[in-house]
Formats: sequence, C-alpha cells, structure tokens
Amino acid sequence: MFERLLNQSSAPVLEKMLQFTAARHNVIAENVINISTPNYRQKDLSLDKFQEMLGERIGQRDGAPLGETSFDDISAELENPQRGILFHDGVNRSMEQLMSDQAKNAMMHNFVVELLKKQYSTMEMSLKDRPG
Amino acid sequence: MFDALDMGASGLQAQRARMDTIAENILQANTTRNERGEKIPYKRRFVVFAPGRADDTSKPGVHVSEVGLDQSPPLRKYEPGHPDADASGYVSYPNIDPAIEYVNAMEASRAYDANITMMEDTKSMINSSLRIIA
Repeated sequence: MFERLLNQSSAPVLEKMLQFTAARHNVIAENVINISTPNYRQKDLSLDKFQEMLGERIGQRDGAPLGETSFDDISAELENPQRGILFHDGVNRSMEQLMSDQAKNAMMHNFVVELLKKQYSTMEMSLKDRPG
Repeated sequence: MFDALDMGASGLQAQRARMDTIAENILQANTTRNERGEKIPYKRRFVVFAPGRADDTSKPGVHVSEVGLDQSPPLRKYEPGHPDADASGYVSYPNIDPAIEYVNAMEASRAYDANITMMEDTKSMINSSLRIIA
C-alpha cells in the first residue's frame, strides 16, 4: 500500500530527476578536472533525452492502474558531444560551457530537492492529521 | 556524489603540481649550471596529465603521469666575461620564455579556481540533498 502511495504522485519522477542531476554533476566534474588532459574526450548526459524518456513514462502512467508504472529502469546514456573547438591537444574544451552546465545542473538539483521536500512534508502532514 | 569531491581533490593536486613546475621554470630561467656544477643549463620542465586518480587510475579523476623535459636547444648569448662562457664567448641559457610560463600559470590558476567552484557546488548539492530527510 505504502509503495503505491509513494509511486502515484510526482515523487518517483522527482527521485529519478535527482539521480540524473547527481550523475550529471559527476560527469561535468570529471570534464572540469580533465580540462588540461591531452586527448581527453568530454562526456555528458543528455538532459533532453532523459526528459523525453521521463515524459513518455509519465504518459504511460496516466493510462495505467495506480502504482503499476515503474520509473526504475530509466537511465541516461553517456555520450561524447562534439561541440566546441577541437584544440591541438585533442580536447574540445569549453570552460564557459562546462561552468554554465554545472550551474544549471546544480540549480535543477536544488529545485528538485525543494519539490521533493514539499511532497514529503505534505505526505507527512496528511499522515499526522489522521483521526484516531 | 561524494565521488565528485575526491575527483575535485585530484584536480587540485594536479594543477598545483603544474604550478610548482612553472614556478621552478621561472626561477631557474637564468641557471647555467646543473646541480653537480657542470656547465649544462637547466632544462624546462612540463607536466603531462592523464585521466584517472594517482592511487587508482580506474577511478575518475586526473593525475600527473609524467614530468617531461623540454629538449629544445639552449639560448646562446654573447657574454665573453661570464664564467660559464665557452671558448667563443657564448653562454648557454635555459630555453625558457617567461611569457609562455605566465600564460601557463594563468591557465593552471583558472583551472584550480574552476575545481574549487565545482567542489563548492558539490558541497551545496550534497547539503541540499541531506535536507530532504531533515
């Protein structure tokens, strides 16, 4: 029953998003520290593709019975974006792009955390207010 | 996400090692003898980075894989009165261009700053995640 309660609101979507932002943070961090490493290929997790997968699953959930749809198998794939200039040492570095991605990702993470906190506090409040 | 802090630390270590090498290049720019007192000018050093942590290269991070020696020929200056001058009056100085070293130092410093920023963001993200249960 409790599993169904947790799985029918936006909580599983937010949890998945939180996992994604944490994983993407690690990938961006790795790019930043390897900014001077020759022949290092920059990596990224595509936010657009991830959100697309998440959106599709939310669509499937709308027509399915409560608590039946799982979000556990959704994961973002690691890719090597070919953006930016390829420098003579074989690195397509862009510190500005990395820092902006990093800032956006951190903001997204904190935003999702706030939404999740709100979700849980609402749940807690409704549990506390049960009569008897 | 705690892994990102260890990654950041490896980045800071690597950039500091690079800065140490640059500092040594600048301070040895006029050294015309080696440590044994022979008339062999100092050779410019440079670090080579490789992905992976120094203690375990399979973990994400960065480390200094090698400190290379610049094999370019020394700069020859005509100074006949110099004690290290050769028979024709030329002294061999290290082939070090301060401008290149300053630019490299600036790059290392900026990369160090970027690592610090990334680590600060990691800390704030971890703290905000912990607040879900608090």
